[in-house]
Amino acid sequence: MKRRVYLDHSATTPIDPRVVEAMLPYLTEKFGNPSSVHLFGQEARAAVDRARQLVAELIGAQPQELIFVSSGTEANNLAIRGIAERAAPYGRHIITSAIEHPSVRGVCQALEQRGWEVTRLPVGEDGLVRVEDVRAAIRPDTVLITIMLANNEIGTIQPIAEISHLVREERQRGHRHLWFHTDAVQAAGRMAINVAELGCDLLSLSGHKLYAPKGIGALYVRRGVQLAPQMLGGHQERDRRAGTEAVPLIVAFGKAAELARQELDARIERMRALRDRFERGVAERITDVVFNGHRERRLPHLSNISFRYIEGEGLLINLDLQGIAVSTGSACSSGTLEPSPVIRALGRDEELARGAVRFSLGKDTSEEDIDYVLEVLPQAVESLRRISPLYHRALGERAERSPSN
Amino acid sequence: MYSEIFKDHLTHPRNAGELADPSVVVEESNPICGDRLRLALRVCEGRIEEARFLAYGCPPTLVCGSIITEMIAGLSVQDAARLTRQDLLDKLGGLPSRKMHAAALAIETLRLALERLRGD
Ligand SMILES: Cc1ncc(COP(=O)(O)O)c(C=O)c1O
Repeated sequence: MKRRVYLDHSATTPIDPRVVEAMLPYLTEKFGNPSSVHLFGQEARAAVDRARQLVAELIGAQPQELIFVSSGTEANNLAIRGIAERAAPYGRHIITSAIEHPSVRGVCQALEQRGWEVTRLPVGEDGLVRVEDVRAAIRPDTVLITIMLANNEIGTIQPIAEISHLVREERQRGHRHLWFHTDAVQAAGRMAINVAELGCDLLSLSGHKLYAPKGIGALYVRRGVQLAPQMLGGHQERDRRAGTEAVPLIVAFGKAAELARQELDARIERMRALRDRFERGVAERITDVVFNGHRERRLPHLSNISFRYIEGEGLLINLDLQGIAVSTGSACSSGTLEPSPVIRALGRDEELARGAVRFSLGKDTSEEDIDYVLEVLPQAVESLRRISPLYHRALGERAERSPSN
Repeated sequence: MYSEIFKDHLTHPRNAGELADPSVVVEESNPICGDRLRLALRVCEGRIEEARFLAYGCPPTLVCGSIITEMIAGLSVQDAARLTRQDLLDKLGGLPSRKMHAAALAIETLRLALERLRGD
């Protein structure tokens, strides 16, 4: 049978069998509603409480500071809209970055259409926001800064603690209605996270990026921070998110968080070693490649590479037909090109943005997996380059410059 | 999402490259998405003897380049001029609607090549 290698863990991860095992009873006999007073309800309530404790431990928070939601997207919506609506009397200015996930970008855009002002900070070629830019962007009517902890396409880790420091300084100067949110959906389970050290007020998480099922996320809201609930009509999650709790998913998320905390160092070490081996292999075997994002300040599982002269989607399908799953940030639809806004924000030209491919490893990716990819990838790139007019032109120009060869 | 024929052409493109003694070479690009297709034809006594392509862009553009060279090789110039986008789509087993522009680019490039041939 053909080998199958999944290198798209930034899109989603497989569910850990230990997580499945933990959640199964809550899909079968332990079906109670946590709001019910009887034993069935108490059993479910206890499970939710325990899971909340485990997720809180993953990020160094108090359990009551966590709100379970349906996804990372919902966590981002709740954080940004919740703060924006609550703080509207004090100002309607939001600061964000140019490389946020669509679930942050989309909410900011929607608020913009309703009268909020949004400042989108650029990133350098390394994919990092400059703290000085944040400082310069803060205005008296700024109520929210939302900048992701780690980027989903290139994995760069933003200077969140430094930005928090700025925010605290601002507050000391009397700017009391200013809050700081960070989207940690990609970061969780791939780097140590401690909300006290990060100093943020709100932080988004999603279960399916750390070996729990899809459909469960959480928003950390520092004690004392008030936000306008976006889901109304029930007292769940201390009135901040109505709706009967998704008990099996919450239990699964708790278990996954527990495992992520226990195994974090080993996972990081393993993924980083394999990722670095992969990148060395690519650099040795393939010419005209550009590695995107800061070399050190980035998540250990991810590698984003632009292959000159070709387009990422062709490479994706080529690899897929050989059992290798990766992803691109660009989408070409109905004749309009949308080269990855993230790669474009690094200042790369359109060809490099279109040629960018994301390889994201998981805790169970093996050396054999990487070797197989290193065997297949150079041929796939070469076969696409052979039919590329850009490549032929470059070859021609090179031959002209060195006529002796 | 894509047909078997499509995948086959993507992984094994036919007639890729340049021609040593082409009768005509044209390169067209889709101004909106930047996809490019280059066609080179060698024509002898009103018949397309050989066709080669180079393509850059999304997979349907690459595949349409490969398929169209197969379709026109051996055809008379008049018959080649009658090929439509639908003929191309039928041959490759359809395309998602948002990728239709790839077939349009291929037919457009062919038309242009044949026009230029007549003009010479
Ligand atoms: C950085 C980031 N934020 C938010 C999300 C959305 O999370 P979810 O898929 O749980 O809605 C993702 C998922 O792709 C992400 O990578």
